[in-house]
Amino acid sequence: MNRKDVATGAASGGITINLADKYRAVVGLMRRLASLRLTLILFALLACGIVIAYQLSEARTWPVVIPLLLLAANLVAAVATNAVFRRQTALLVFHLSLVALLILVAAGRLTYLTGHVGVTDGAIFDGTLIDAAHGPWHNGNLASVRFISKGFSIDYEPGLHRGPTRNQVAWLGTDGRWRDAEIGDQEALIIEGYRFYTTHNKGFAPVFTWKPDGGPTVQGSVQLPPFPMLQYSQAAEWTPPGATVSIWIMLDIDEVVLDAEDHTRFRLPKNYKLVARIGQERYEMQPGGSVRVGDGVLVFEGLRSWMGYKVFYDWTLPWLFSACALAVASLACHFWQKFSVRRWDE
Amino acid sequence: METELQILWAAVVAYVVGGTLAVVTLVLGKRRERTILGLIACGLGLQTLSIALRWERLGHGPFITMFEILCSNVWSLMLAYLIAYWRIPRIRGSAAVVMPLMFIMLGWLMLAHPGEGHFPPTYTTPWLFIHIGLGKVFLGAVLVAVGLSCVILLRRAGIGVSRFQQLPPDRQLDELAFRCMAIGLIFHTLMLIAGAIWAQDAWGRYWAWDPLETWAFITWLTVAFTLHARVTFRVSPQAHATMILMVFVTAFLTFFGVPFISQAAHQGAI
Ligand code: HEM
Repeated sequence: MNRKDVATGAASGGITINLADKYRAVVGLMRRLASLRLTLILFALLACGIVIAYQLSEARTWPVVIPLLLLAANLVAAVATNAVFRRQTALLVFHLSLVALLILVAAGRLTYLTGHVGVTDGAIFDGTLIDAAHGPWHNGNLASVRFISKGFSIDYEPGLHRGPTRNQVAWLGTDGRWRDAEIGDQEALIIEGYRFYTTHNKGFAPVFTWKPDGGPTVQGSVQLPPFPMLQYSQAAEWTPPGATVSIWIMLDIDEVVLDAEDHTRFRLPKNYKLVARIGQERYEMQPGGSVRVGDGVLVFEGLRSWMGYKVFYDWTLPWLFSACALAVASLACHFWQKFSVRRWDE
Repeated sequence: METELQILWAAVVAYVVGGTLAVVTLVLGKRRERTILGLIACGLGLQTLSIALRWERLGHGPFITMFEILCSNVWSLMLAYLIAYWRIPRIRGSAAVVMPLMFIMLGWLMLAHPGEGHFPPTYTTPWLFIHIGLGKVFLGAVLVAVGLSCVILLRRAGIGVSRFQQLPPDRQLDELAFRCMAIGLIFHTLMLIAGAIWAQDAWGRYWAWDPLETWAFITWLTVAFTLHARVTFRVSPQAHATMILMVFVTAFLTFFGVPFISQAAHQGAI
């Protein structure tokens, strides 16, 4: 061996020792992180975090997320270093499905969307929501979702206890065809991953045609506050598209629409008048009636109902279900194996 | 309604006589296990009849009012304990602690108003039965574990040592209690999953940390904590028994406390 070889050998030996040291250090760290004592502390920490998040509305996320992340690190380290998991496959699968669940929930939170929208019967939902919250990476295609509410029925028991809701809808598929469906209390309308749920929010909506001088005619509706929840304040303020003045509209109902004493069904009122106030002027309108508003004419076409929908998007749902199913099955399997060694009444 | 309540009273009487007999025979060192089994079974039969009559009259099961929730849980807890009592003869002495625990619930039930509540449209789904049924199995399994844990703790405290002699040694009771908790964990997990599926269908969200969901999750954590502590630290039967009692208290508060104090529990009723 010449000098050069000796030098190289010494150098590579140094690297090997160095790597082995580092490896040992990492394994040592993992072992520490995998401590089951730590698991118990983190369980307690998570429980405290949940209580804090529950009490303080301004600290909803981190008190829960931090212990969950620590638990995940603790569990991953345990899976990597604890020999129990190599001997007991079912136990391993159970714990891995817990990690999978955590990852899926996190992915869901990053890409979810929730919101609300009211859709007047006969009008097309155009992809716009009244309010919405979504994860930073939400990239669904809500703008292209289209459906029409074709009317709904809700029965009430005496005391105005709401019964089942049945809502007929038509929705546009990706193939360009319209399809009919009936949705309701347990049955959402699902289009491109967006779920539309009927809610207890629904009410009446006067439909108007707005004819601006020299501009194109547009039709639209004004959704009045929910009925019967706010039955004594059926009024709303509205500005027709392109108009300069706003209109205050009130539905004055001259009959009992939902009799609290009896079995009844949600319906449009028959005896009513629509009061429109523009500036100091007050008008009473019947279907077909019109009124001049600034630089256009407003025609009241009639009354329809509107349904409020809750909108929800989370692509992880089927995966979450699969991870849950796997978790329970493997947990049951683990205990089955463990307990079948000795009888229960021994 | 009168008949239902009379039959329920008869069931309560059967339970109370059975429970009293369990305590008295244990104290006197006698064994009347078949009679106790018969009385609990008789109470259960009568209570089933009472629940069935009310179900038929109202058109829905016992899931709405506090009276109904208590009644159906007394029923399921009694059923769970009856099965354990019947299938594992060596733990029958624990009836002397489990039945007095049940007396508290029976007393509460008799004080609750038996009036009817509104059955919300979101409850018209098989998930109602699945979700609630799974929860009942969980609570039943924990009740059996609690009975065994109480025996361990009483013996350690020097109370009724000779009376509880007929039961297996602490180590074996501890193992049985652990098995019950394991069953409890499986069913609690299933209950949470079924609840999440139902909540997604009915309210458009699978989890929203409402009071009941929050406390149910904390209960799940306490069960996980107990199982882990036992496996990893090989804790003494006494410490394990204490933890099981804590799980029971948390579960009890979740099942009966939260719906009772919070109007917002599971917003489903609107
Ligand atoms: C997040 C950190 C977690 C870690 C590091 C962890 C680790 C472990 C380990 C190493 C074991 C085997 C113990 C042994 O047999 O000696 C175990 C068992 C077990 N763990 Fe976990 N676990 C974690 C979370 C959970 C959670 C959230 C649950 C939920 C319930 C859970 C439930 C169980 C169960 C049921 C057993 C089996 C007990 C038995 O064999 O009797 N673990 N865990």
